[in-house]
Amino acid sequence: MENIIEVSSLAKVFANQTAIESVDFQVKQGEIFGFLGPSGSGKTTTIKILTGQLTPTSGTANVFGESVSQLKKSEYRRRFGVLTDNSGLYGRLSIYDNLKLYCDLYDVPHSKIDEVLDAVNLKEEKSKKVSSLSKGMTQRVTLARALIHEPELLFLDEPTSALDPTNSLHIHEGLRALNAKGTTIFLTTHDMHEAETLCDRVAFLNKGKIQLLDTPDKLKKRYSDSTITVELTNGEKVILPAGSEGANQLFEYMNTDQVVTIHSNEPTLGDIFVQVTGRKLA
Amino acid sequence: MMISWKRVNAILQKDFKDFSRNLAVSSVIFVPIILGAFYGRMGVDSIDTHFMLVNMTFGMVAAFVQCCLIAEEKEKNTLRGLMLSPASTADILGGKSLLTFIMTMVVVFFTVYLAEYKPANVAIIAAAIVLSSFFYIALGTLLGLYSKSVLEASVIVMPVIIVFSLGSFITLVVEKYPILQVATYLPNIQLVELATKVEAGAGFGGVLVEFAIILGWVIASLILTVVIYRKRMVD
Ligand SMILES: Nc1ncnc2c1ncn2[C@@H]1O[C@H](COP(=O)(O)OP(=O)(O)OP(=O)(O)O)[C@@H](O)[C@H]1O
Ligand SMILES: [Mg+2]
Repeated sequence: MENIIEVSSLAKVFANQTAIESVDFQVKQGEIFGFLGPSGSGKTTTIKILTGQLTPTSGTANVFGESVSQLKKSEYRRRFGVLTDNSGLYGRLSIYDNLKLYCDLYDVPHSKIDEVLDAVNLKEEKSKKVSSLSKGMTQRVTLARALIHEPELLFLDEPTSALDPTNSLHIHEGLRALNAKGTTIFLTTHDMHEAETLCDRVAFLNKGKIQLLDTPDKLKKRYSDSTITVELTNGEKVILPAGSEGANQLFEYMNTDQVVTIHSNEPTLGDIFVQVTGRKLA
Repeated sequence: MMISWKRVNAILQKDFKDFSRNLAVSSVIFVPIILGAFYGRMGVDSIDTHFMLVNMTFGMVAAFVQCCLIAEEKEKNTLRGLMLSPASTADILGGKSLLTFIMTMVVVFFTVYLAEYKPANVAIIAAAIVLSSFFYIALGTLLGLYSKSVLEASVIVMPVIIVFSLGSFITLVVEKYPILQVATYLPNIQLVELATKVEAGAGFGGVLVEFAIILGWVIASLILTVVIYRKRMVD
């Protein structure tokens, strides 16, 4: 599969602070790539570099096979969409008018507005003024705006941070549907569950570098200690080690009808993150 | 540079809706008109007063309003959205300037009409006013790009309004302090000089120097605006 993003030895130093030190990764065409890291680890900075809003201090960053400095050209800008935590909407205008402006800027017919509003569950509120919307609704309008021109590549910086679980789920479904149609998604999130259910691969960013990068499944297997937890009829929970010793013990419990539940102790992405970085997410 | 009328028009329409709902800024456009009506009723009829009103319109509408519009786009992070879209620098700056230009022209028209200014040569005066407005709109854009918020913008644009509205007053001071001679090259003073010459019967040929100087200001301010804008695209 072709790489749509290629980053190597990427660094960004602000006046008095190193945001990212040396970041390397590739994003394949058609995947959902999760970019995870604690607050201040440089996730937004990386997205800004990849969308041409910041110039890197050193290293290379290519998007669509071209250096990000080429993103100034409008034919490239048409190919990606961005949702960042501070992307602005016009507060005095309605949702519809905000999206209409973007339709015209991207040469998209206005009929697309209803379609994207449907995807973010806001069709009924389209004539509402943006300044009167709740945080979660605003975030959904921002997402609708990022999607309106059907970009090949979508950068989402914490797209569901202000959403309730129902709307998050709805957005997840929408993102999966987009992805199924071929959109590559680069996503940052603090929500490990979101990363786990949505992403094909995840990267853990910490202390200016990528600490881990793999599919959630492989990471969980790699960090699993292969123990299982057995809940017994007397309410006790015992952790059994891998190997014959654990197997014999389990056989014993099962033979005497004491087993209520059995859980494999695979770690969550959150557990792995804490283990690898010694830091908690968020 | 390519300019897309569709995009310019989209930004213009958006700005018009937004501006008409932003009373804090939009009410400013009535100040010159009211003053114009006031002077007209009082029967004040001198080039200096008429052009104080015109220059005040430039300061309050062209520079101040434009500065606030740009600063608000920056403050609310909407300028970033425009910049990330396929719209070119010309589309965005053109679109963002068009509303201010139209309003400046409308306000100048009503102001001088109510002040009962009847230029000896309407074509020359109209051309000079249109040309001058470009300078003030570019100046407003520049100040807007420099400020971080609408509040900051409205503070830094104040001295500009004052300096440029006090056209003829500056000439009086200059006579006392010859060092200030350079101030007579300011576009507002040049506009007053141009209008005075036209009133004395000068044609296009007689005011070419004034036109050239104003054009110089326009070109310089436009170049500076585009350069600063491009710098602001990547921070
Ligand atoms: N414009 C800037 N000037 C100076 N420092 C900056 C700037 N932008 C970001 N930084 C610094 O760079 C570091 C990385 O910031 P960034 O916003 O990329 O983190 P993040 O991973 O997105 O965090 P969060 O999860 O809280 O959104 C932070 O320490 C931040 O203070
Ligand atoms: Mg961030």
